[in-house]
Amino acid sequence: MLKDMEGTMDIKKSEVLQGTLDLMILKTLHALGSMHGFGIARRIEQVSRDILQLNEGTVYTSLLRLQQQGWITAEWGTSENNRKAKFYSITKRGQKQLELETENWERISGVIGRVLRLEGER
Amino acid sequence: MMTSSSSQSRLRAFAAKVRGFLGGRQHDDEFDDEVQAHLQLLADKFVQQGLSTKDAAAAARRQFGNTTLLQEDRREMQTLPSIEALWLDLRYALRTLWRNRGFAMVSIATLGLGIGAATAIFSVIDNVLLEPFPYKGADRIVFPRIHGAQQSQDEGRQGYTAAEVLQFAENSHVFDGTTAAAEDLVLYKHGGGTEQFDGARVTPGTFEFFGMPALHGRVLQPSDYEPGAPPVFVMRYKTWKERFNGDLSILNQPLVLNGTARILVGIMPPRFGWYEAEVLIPEKLTPGAKAGGSAIEWFFVGRLKPGVSSQQAESDLTVIANGLAKIYPQDYPTHFNVKLKKLGDTVIGHFEATLYTVLAAVGLLLLIACSNVANLMLARATTREKEFALRAALGAQRARLVRLLMVESLVLAIAGAALGTFVAWGGLKLLVAAMPQNLIPTESVIELNGPVLVFTLCIAVLTALIFGLAPALQSSRRDLNDSLRDSGKGVSGGFRGRWVRDTVVVMEVALSLTLLIGAGLLIRSFEALRQVRLGLQPDHVFQTGLVLPADRYKTSEQVTEFVRPLLARVKFLPGVVDAGESNALPPINFAASKMEISGKTPQDDWRVLFQNVSEEYFRVLGINFKQGRSFSEAEVNDARKVAVVNETFVRKYLPRENPIGQRVRLASLETSADPARDANDAREWFEIVGVVGDVTNSGLQVPIEPEVWTPYTITASGPLVLFARTSQDPGTMMNAVQQAVWATDSGVALAFPSTLEDRFNKYVYAGPKFGFLLMTIFGCIGLVLVTVGVYSVLAYSTTRKTHEIGIRMALGAERGHVLGMVVRTGLRLVVAGMALGIAISSVLGRIIGNQLVGVTAYDPATLAATMLLLMLTAAVACWLPARRAARVNPTVALRYQ
Repeated sequence: MLKDMEGTMDIKKSEVLQGTLDLMILKTLHALGSMHGFGIARRIEQVSRDILQLNEGTVYTSLLRLQQQGWITAEWGTSENNRKAKFYSITKRGQKQLELETENWERISGVIGRVLRLEGER
Repeated sequence: MMTSSSSQSRLRAFAAKVRGFLGGRQHDDEFDDEVQAHLQLLADKFVQQGLSTKDAAAAARRQFGNTTLLQEDRREMQTLPSIEALWLDLRYALRTLWRNRGFAMVSIATLGLGIGAATAIFSVIDNVLLEPFPYKGADRIVFPRIHGAQQSQDEGRQGYTAAEVLQFAENSHVFDGTTAAAEDLVLYKHGGGTEQFDGARVTPGTFEFFGMPALHGRVLQPSDYEPGAPPVFVMRYKTWKERFNGDLSILNQPLVLNGTARILVGIMPPRFGWYEAEVLIPEKLTPGAKAGGSAIEWFFVGRLKPGVSSQQAESDLTVIANGLAKIYPQDYPTHFNVKLKKLGDTVIGHFEATLYTVLAAVGLLLLIACSNVANLMLARATTREKEFALRAALGAQRARLVRLLMVESLVLAIAGAALGTFVAWGGLKLLVAAMPQNLIPTESVIELNGPVLVFTLCIAVLTALIFGLAPALQSSRRDLNDSLRDSGKGVSGGFRGRWVRDTVVVMEVALSLTLLIGAGLLIRSFEALRQVRLGLQPDHVFQTGLVLPADRYKTSEQVTEFVRPLLARVKFLPGVVDAGESNALPPINFAASKMEISGKTPQDDWRVLFQNVSEEYFRVLGINFKQGRSFSEAEVNDARKVAVVNETFVRKYLPRENPIGQRVRLASLETSADPARDANDAREWFEIVGVVGDVTNSGLQVPIEPEVWTPYTITASGPLVLFARTSQDPGTMMNAVQQAVWATDSGVALAFPSTLEDRFNKYVYAGPKFGFLLMTIFGCIGLVLVTVGVYSVLAYSTTRKTHEIGIRMALGAERGHVLGMVVRTGLRLVVAGMALGIAISSVLGRIIGNQLVGVTAYDPATLAATMLLLMLTAAVACWLPARRAARVNPTVALRYQ
């Protein structure tokens, strides 16, 4: 019984982290339109006010995953310093997914917040 | 978290992988570019913040993380497993299997048997049913039948006059080619004597129709068919090989066929077998003008235009036939239509059903082989649980583990397929040797070929999936903590899917018993067939048909003048004991007649078979006289009206009377009597002078008919068969007899010379023998599979029970007790399977009952013998793992797992 729980929690934990980054990228693209990977990394850095220290490489894993699901598309373009760069933008399906996930997130974070507060009161 | 419906998203991920895999290296480079650009931008940012270029690059790399790992992640996500990884799995699989040679060999042998049997039968089906004819558009070649409304499904006239053939060929709209052939008995005269060919006359365009070029020389050309063209002909490959030893010098030489010197212009390839003709002679059809032109002798075939259905063609031809029926009303039933049959339908017929049944049986065998191997793999997987748990703990994904196991399965399956190909190759040789020749079209060559090998490969992959997937999923699903922790499931049973394995074993036993009982019954039946009292001694007898040139042998005197000296010559040949003549060959006599007995009121159903023989006939074949005597030489020479009858005749028509001196009259003998004699002669009464023991005369499986023998000098009609009893091997007599025949009349040809025993083997025993051979082979394969099946399941369960056995022994259980426990477990399954098998057999018994002779479908001896055989085999299969279990050392066992 116990070991089962352990196993489950392990998996869920990583999923939460993974999913969070995906969600943040989707939201960023939704808010700011077409962007390249560097821009996305900067934006997340900026918004999280350096609380979230991330290996920027993982952004690309996340971008790939989102692409595979068809939630974002990529296009080659030129960056501000005249370099070839891949620009990502959110798709219709991605927007729908974003709404769904946002709702989910708020619900779950609400629940978790309440649970945590409960623990604190004890 | 970020998950849509999971199956859909998995599908998308997989699609991306396939795209990535096909995209190849280009993606790698693009991704590198993107990463490099990012790093550069990051470094630029750090430079602006005041770092040196070198430090900025380092900082950028630090912040970005491991690029190699990223690239690997990406590859994992975006492409299918690389060839290198598969190669690694393959090498690992080979190593593992090598370490478990016993397991691997048993698995490969099992699969080899299953795949081999399936491949062999599929070869037969492919070559006999799917692609029997090497001709152009062979599957569209059809022949018409005039099917009377009163006739049963398979009846109908399929021979036509020349006029009809011309009408069909010229007025039909559904064929893109037609041709016709007629039988032609060809006597080939050469320096030494005369030989007979089964020839055919063929119409213009025949070779264009079939689209096969000659092997040597040329095929017939349009000019060859013209009246007045130099006479030529074409020969079949088999005839060229067997009658002329493949001698190429005969090409473009004249051969005297039916009195005309014809030049052999071409030899056809081995698979050309049109009309079974040994020689093909050109003939141009003329509409009925010539004498004999109205004979119904032509066999007409046409190739349907692509897209024309056989219904369309049938109605098209029916219109033409309706027109013909007005001109030749005597040849057509009042109500009829034209039915089309495919070329080959006549030959293959019900053999098709047999083959598909056999294929189904073989498919079952294969399935059983698969479940056996699956069981074996499951059993082995238990011993590898720790290995897999460790792999999983170190981060191997489940898909990766499944893949590893699947590669192992595939290696086994491919090895099995390779072995199976050998099994099939050997099995086919056996099958072809045993297969009754008249059941398959001569054009079909049974061999392993491309499609068959592809079939084998497909089977191999399929079997790998079937037997590999279940164990792979099962063993990769196991919870790794459970396996790593060194305890738990010491106590037996309770493993999921146990009932599946038990059911498999029960089904295996049942099916195997069914096959074995079938094989046993067919063997017994064949033995009974062999034991059927033929009423004669077939050993040491040489026999041959004789073909007399019809123009010189019209009267019975002429025939007698040939036979007398011939018999005298043959009797004096070294090695010949005695010789005689007859007009029929045992074991089947087709000549039947109505019969009367003097002084008795004739009844409608008084029928007898009759045969005309020389006085030596009974002596030569070793037929015993029960009463009276054979004909005397004088009686035969003078064509006196005497007769010999068989015991059945006496029993049926003259019970409780002395048959000797009674007189009989045969209706058919009157009509077939020699026209040169006084017709009253034949209508006379024949006096019975002797009664012989019953001789098989309607085939072995049918009761003997009443039969009457009369001197051959009575009539000139009917075929002529020469018999010689020899003191040496009758197979060596052929040349001597041929010389004797030609010395008597060089214009007479031998037909179908062979020993009497060979003839019996070919026409009487071959069919049943083929059936029991197949069943025996399958029965044996089934038996082997069952042994492996029972063994593997027991080996598996005892391995799992080692702990329990250890406890039992530690608590004082005897070896014998443990042995008994394991054997009981196995035998319980076997007994259940046998009960099921008996039930299946009793149902199937009704079906195979009509193929059996001298033994019932519920023959107790066969049942007992097969059950005993199966039981013994199963006992051995049980005993091996049981012995291993009994040798368990309690201390070791308790530590084990």
